[in-house]
Formats: sequence, C-alpha cells, structure tokens
Amino acid sequence: MVELTGSQSLPDSMSPIPASTQLLAVAWLRWRIFVNSTFRRQPKNKRQIAGLVFAILLRIVVWPILALMMVGPIVGSGFLAWLAISEGRPQGLAGLLLGIALLWQFVSINGLSIAASIHSFDPASLVRFPLRFGRYFVLRSLLGLLTASTIVGSLALLAAALGIGIADASLALPALVAMAVYALMNIYLTRMIGAWMDRWLANRRFREIFRMIMALSFAAIQFMNLQRAPMRAHGARSGLFLSAMHSSGPYVYWLPPGFAAQAILLAKHPLAAFGQFAALLASTALFAAVFAIRLKKQFLGEYLSEGVSRRVSQQAAPRVRMPALEAAAQSAPAAAGAVFSSTVAACLRKDWIVLRSNGTQLIGMMTPLLLVAIFSMNRAFSSSFSGYFLPAAIAYTLLGVLGPLYNVFGADGRGAQLYLLAPIRMRDVVVAKNLMSLAMVVAESGVAWIIICVFSRARIPVSAQVSTALWTVFVVALNLAIGNLRSIQAPRYFVPGQSRQPRGGTPTNRTSGLLVLGVLFGSMLLQIPVAMASSYFELPWLGAWVFLPFAAAAVFAYAFVLRNVEHLILEHRDVFAEELCKA
Amino acid sequence: MMTPAIDTTTLTRRFGDFTAVDNVNLRVDAGQFFGFLGPNGAGKSTTIKMLTGLLAPTSGSIRILGEDFEVRSAEIKRQIGVVPEGMALFGRLTAGEYLQFVGRMYGLDRVTTLNRTRELLEFMQLADEQKKLITDFSHGMQKKLAMAAAVIHGPKVLFLDEPFEGVDAVAAGTLKAMLQRMIARGATIFLTSHVLEIVERLCTHIAIIHRGRLVAQGALDELRAGARRTGQAGIEAGAAPPEAEKRSLEQIFLEIVGTDREGNPGAVTPEQELSWLS
Repeated sequence: MVELTGSQSLPDSMSPIPASTQLLAVAWLRWRIFVNSTFRRQPKNKRQIAGLVFAILLRIVVWPILALMMVGPIVGSGFLAWLAISEGRPQGLAGLLLGIALLWQFVSINGLSIAASIHSFDPASLVRFPLRFGRYFVLRSLLGLLTASTIVGSLALLAAALGIGIADASLALPALVAMAVYALMNIYLTRMIGAWMDRWLANRRFREIFRMIMALSFAAIQFMNLQRAPMRAHGARSGLFLSAMHSSGPYVYWLPPGFAAQAILLAKHPLAAFGQFAALLASTALFAAVFAIRLKKQFLGEYLSEGVSRRVSQQAAPRVRMPALEAAAQSAPAAAGAVFSSTVAACLRKDWIVLRSNGTQLIGMMTPLLLVAIFSMNRAFSSSFSGYFLPAAIAYTLLGVLGPLYNVFGADGRGAQLYLLAPIRMRDVVVAKNLMSLAMVVAESGVAWIIICVFSRARIPVSAQVSTALWTVFVVALNLAIGNLRSIQAPRYFVPGQSRQPRGGTPTNRTSGLLVLGVLFGSMLLQIPVAMASSYFELPWLGAWVFLPFAAAAVFAYAFVLRNVEHLILEHRDVFAEELCKA
Repeated sequence: MMTPAIDTTTLTRRFGDFTAVDNVNLRVDAGQFFGFLGPNGAGKSTTIKMLTGLLAPTSGSIRILGEDFEVRSAEIKRQIGVVPEGMALFGRLTAGEYLQFVGRMYGLDRVTTLNRTRELLEFMQLADEQKKLITDFSHGMQKKLAMAAAVIHGPKVLFLDEPFEGVDAVAAGTLKAMLQRMIARGATIFLTSHVLEIVERLCTHIAIIHRGRLVAQGALDELRAGARRTGQAGIEAGAAPPEAEKRSLEQIFLEIVGTDREGNPGAVTPEQELSWLS
C-alpha cells in the first residue's frame, strides 16, 4: 500500500492562496469539462454512433442558422448607429442602445446560450472551496460569459461603436469606451436578473405566478397587436416599432442607454460627457452590487430548495396518515379502476396525482387557449384564414402537449425501476401513460375547438371540421407511436414544473424535440395542398378522404409499436438504468 | 485549556416552520474520532452542512479550530476536508483531473498536487480507472474519490457524511486504515454513519441527535458505562448498573432514539405488525 505523504504534513501556515491559482484552476476545470464532454465519450454501440452522427449533422445545420440570426442584429446595430450620427438624428442612439439591451436580456432569459448546449457545472458548487467572497464574485462574473446573449450583445455594441466612428471619427474613442462600459452594465444586469430569478423561481408558488404573468403578458401583447394593427403590412408594423423606439428617446435619457448615448454625443463637452459617463458607471456598479448581494447570501450557505422543508415536514407528521392516503386514492379518476386493468388504473392514478400538483404545466396549457380565443375573436384575422384557421389553431394548441409524449418515463426517474421489477406488462404502463397524455391532448384541442366554433365569426363547414378531426387523429397517433419509441430509446430524467432541471437542458431529448416539430410541421404542410385542392376543385370532403387513410395508418403504427413495447423495453434496459435509474 | 476542533453554541437551523437543528451545543476536541449519530431526518447532514459552511445557521455560532466560521470562512475551509452527503463531484472529469483541480483550489503547488493525486489514486485503487469519467464510476468508486479529494490538502479536521455507504468491504478497510492513520497524526474526524458497528469500532466520542436536538454526548466508554438517560434532555453521568457495561452502541442508540415525541418507547405494537408478511 502506498504511503500517504500528503496527510503527514498538515499545513500550519495560513499564507493566502494566490488568486491566479484558483482562477486558473476553475478555468482549467471548465476547459476539461468541455473537452471531455466533446471528445471523451466514446460511442459504445451502433445506436450511439448513429446518435452521435445525427447530433453532428444537426449542429452543422443549426449552428450556421443561429450564426446568421446573430448577424442581423449586429449589422443592423452598426448601420443604425451610423445612420443616427451621419443623418443628424443623434437622439435615436439612445433608443438603439435600449433596443440592444432589450435584445440582450430577451436572448438571455430565453436561455439561448452556447454554454447551455454543452455540459457544464453549477458554479454555486464552488462555495465549498476556500475562496474569499471577492474571488467568488469574480468567478461568477466570468463563468458563463460565452453565451449567445453576451456574444450578440457585445458584437452589436462593437458594431454600433464602429458605425459611430465611421460617421464621425472624433466620436470613435468615446464610443468604444462607452460601449465597453455599457456592455459590462448589460452583463451585470443579466447576472442580477438571473440570480434573483433563480432565487424566486426556487419557490413553486412563485414559479406558477411567474408563468401566469408571462402567459397573460404574451396574450396581452397579441391582443393589443391585433387591436392596433389587425392586418397591416409587415412594413407598417416595422414602422410602428421604429417610431416606438424613436419616441422612447426622451425617457431613455434617464436610463443607462441614455447615459451611454449622451456620454458619446457630448464628447465635445468633456464635463457633461464625464457626468453622463459617471452615471453609466454608477448604474453598472448598482447592478453589480445587487448581483453581489444575492451571491453573498449564496456564498454564506443559503438554502433555496423547498425539498428539505417539505420532506422534514412530512417526517414530523404522524407516521401513517390513512385518511390522507384514502383521500388521494379517491381523488384520482374513480372510473379508472373499474374500466382498466389494475396496472393501468394504478399508473393512471399515480400520473394524475403528479399532474394535479404541477400547476406550471396546467398554466402552460392555458396559454395557447387564450391566444386562440384572442385570434378567434378578431374578425379580420379569422376570416382572412378561414380555410386554414381551424387546423392551424389546433396544430398550435397541440404543439405544447405533444412534446411530453416523447419522454413519458422522464418524470418517473428512479421510480421507473419499479416497472422493470414488478410482475406487470410494460404495455399496460405505456397504455396508462398514453391515456393520460391523450386526455390532455383531447382536453386542450377540444377546448380550442369549442373556442373557435363559438368565437370565430366565420362559419366553419362540417367537412372542414371532419377533415381537421381526421388530421388530428393522424398527428396524435403518429406522435404517440414515435413518442413511445423515443421514450424507450432516449428517456431523460426531469422534474415536472421545475425551471432548472437536474442535469441542465430541457425535459425532452433535443432530437425528440426536433422530431415533434418535424412531425407537426410536416403534417401541417400536408394540410395546405389538400385545402387548396379542395377549394380549387370544389370538393369540400377531399380533406376527409385524404386524411382518413393517414389516420388509419397512424393508428396502425401506434398499435404496432404498442405490441412490441415489451421487446423494445428489454432491448433498451441499459438506457433506462443509465438515464433514469441513475438519475 | 485546549482549543476544541469543533465548538458550536446554540446552533439552530430552521426551514420555514420546521426546526431541523435545535440549539445544538457541540464540542469536539482536537484529535478525537467523533461519531455523530441519529435516525433518518434527525439533523445530522444539516449540522454537517452548517459546520462546513455549505448552509448558514439560522442562529448560533460555529468555531472550527478556535476560529469563528462567519469571520474566517476561507481560512477555515483550507483546514477542513469534507465528504458531503451527495459527494459533489464533477462528473465530466476523470478522477485524476478532479483531484488536480481540488488540489489547486486548496492552494497546493502543481508538483505536490500531481504527486498526491498519483498516490491517492493508487491508495484508493483507482489508478486503473484514469481514463474513465467520474460519471461512469460506480457509487463506491465515487465515494473513494470523494474521500481522496477531501484529504488531498491534508486537512486538520475531516467531516465525513456516511463515508462507508455503498463501499465494498475491501475499500472500507482501506478507508478505515487511512482514517486511523490520520487520527494518529493528530487530525480530528467528525463522522456520521448508520453503520453503528463501524462507529463503535472507530470512534472514541459520540453525540446523538434526535429530532434536531442533541440528546447525548460524551466518550463512548462513558455512554457504554451506563450513563443514566434523562428523557429527551440529554445524558447525565451516573452510577453504572453492572449489566449496562455490556451494552452495545446499538442498544444505547435504540434506547435513546427509539421513542416518540413524548419520550415513550416507539417499538412497533402488535396491531401495527405486518401480519401478512410470511
């Protein structure tokens, strides 16, 4: 056995650890995680090789598209900044900087980060090491800088500085300095919002309220949008947007975008420019300080999760609460036990209890319905697309409820072991999960259907309704079939209703997510020529006849997958163990 | 008077309305192998998290090696090693990479870090797994790695939360030998474990926490000698009845914690027995 020389010499000196040592160690950690995640994991079988090839091909297609999406705001910012200075409309600069800040925060909040697409670590875990708070703050400021929001925002600001410099060379240097500080301000603003959102979103009730506010906000924006410019041309809307940006100028002067713009524009009056620059610095410091307050709490050992308090509360409660158990059983779909086998009924009860406590998902289901109602009530909109409105609206409502079909075991986590261990047929478990999903699909699309029929001013013919119903059966059955396959082949553990998932990322496998979109949009594309042909040849029942065989084929495919579930599960037991049971 | 390695005063942690750790006054002298026991949910892990700076106490104070944790947390963290409940490893690193990272974070120079990494990997029988990512390690291997990371900087105080859980007998033997060697060299070890036989064999001093309150504390021999139990309030030294000298730690533990909230014995009543079990 090797002698442990390390434990012989306990360090007596308390000389400080150099900052560079710890900062470089964390940089090295981040680098090794990136390298190991990208190159180290060798595919073990054909399926994993195929998955790897698909992932690479997907990136080859998706990343250039993302890069092109980034180019737009960057070039646009440079051009608008040049335009504002060269055409003598400097007041537009503050509006432009406000726009960049909003874009920065929007991209950041939506989590479109490059860092999120690769494996990372929770920087909060660094608090266990002997770090001083200052270093922890620096680390937390630096980690995660490689995000789409920072890259796009910083490059847009750089382009704006270049645009200003080209328009007026004397403003080039002040523009570069002011934009650099403005970029820092945006970074701290993002961090501050992210840190506080993390704090608040740790609370389930707040998550639900937040989701509700977001849903209502989207609905309100759409409502106002339709009320103000029901069917205006795109150019008219752009004009509205630009005029809003322009008119925001006077108010923005009291905000960081205004300070940055003034610090550049008043460069010929050093004292005034310095005052504006100081205000910009002060706002940056303010955001950094509010971010630091949150970090300090974390550094001192804050507990955010509700897990312990709930768990211990349960432990403190009487050991067996029979009435509570009975109540839970009774509140589940009562008919389940009478109609289905005991396995299906038990799984349905379990999933119902999980769904009932997931307020976030229920709120998420309400959002598309609200938007469908808003669009249905708008006469100009619904009558303009009368032929396509019903299928398009149903497809839109399905979008949110079809995703979970591709990961039906995900929320079970380690509990999925029970399905493998218990003397039950896996087919029954899958049927139960599909029934629960189907109930949600029927509820969502059914309510949307009723909303459209009640609120839409244009009468929807029976033939169109039958055609849409058959198309819906086709889409749902096809998604159920593919979803069951993906649920078995590529499950992913997730916690329902939680914003930060245990392994980062999304509740559904990325490939599965793309498949949902592919199937839905692919089937939508079928609708268009059929509807056009139906209208052109004056054959109102054409859609129904076309989608009838499609629906039958999809139902047959679903039945085929269901028949082979036992075999599929056996074949993919290793994936279950790795992805769910080890979660 | 010797400075205690760990000293807490009225340490309390609440989660909402629930008090997980309630006015705990704990004293662990330097060089002790200290066992911290309690049933599930008693507050052991919460206490360890507070003692290692991962969780802020609601009230009370913590002094490690005579220093106030709130004032000198970075210095104290340099002197302690922790194997936390969840191990907190970085799954996308190899074992060697992880130990090198930890060594550098604790301020060890590059050469020392590399040497200790090599030694620890061999000692923990992980040297053959150098190409594997930690995420692909078994639970026992991860536990050994967490232990290696906890000692790489030569801590004066070592906190171990269930270190033997999921570890095979050979590895457990290796770990126990290492811990005893550290004790022999003057380190203090604070251990929680549900395996009372291991605690009895390794630890010289014991504290028992139950429903967040410290209900017993002292040398193992004192407890074994038949200290008189005084309800939930704690253990008082007293005349030891002769038969008590033979009591195992398990018996003492069950006697203290096998009670309900009112202090009545919590044994399963005949009506509660699972009669349908064969």
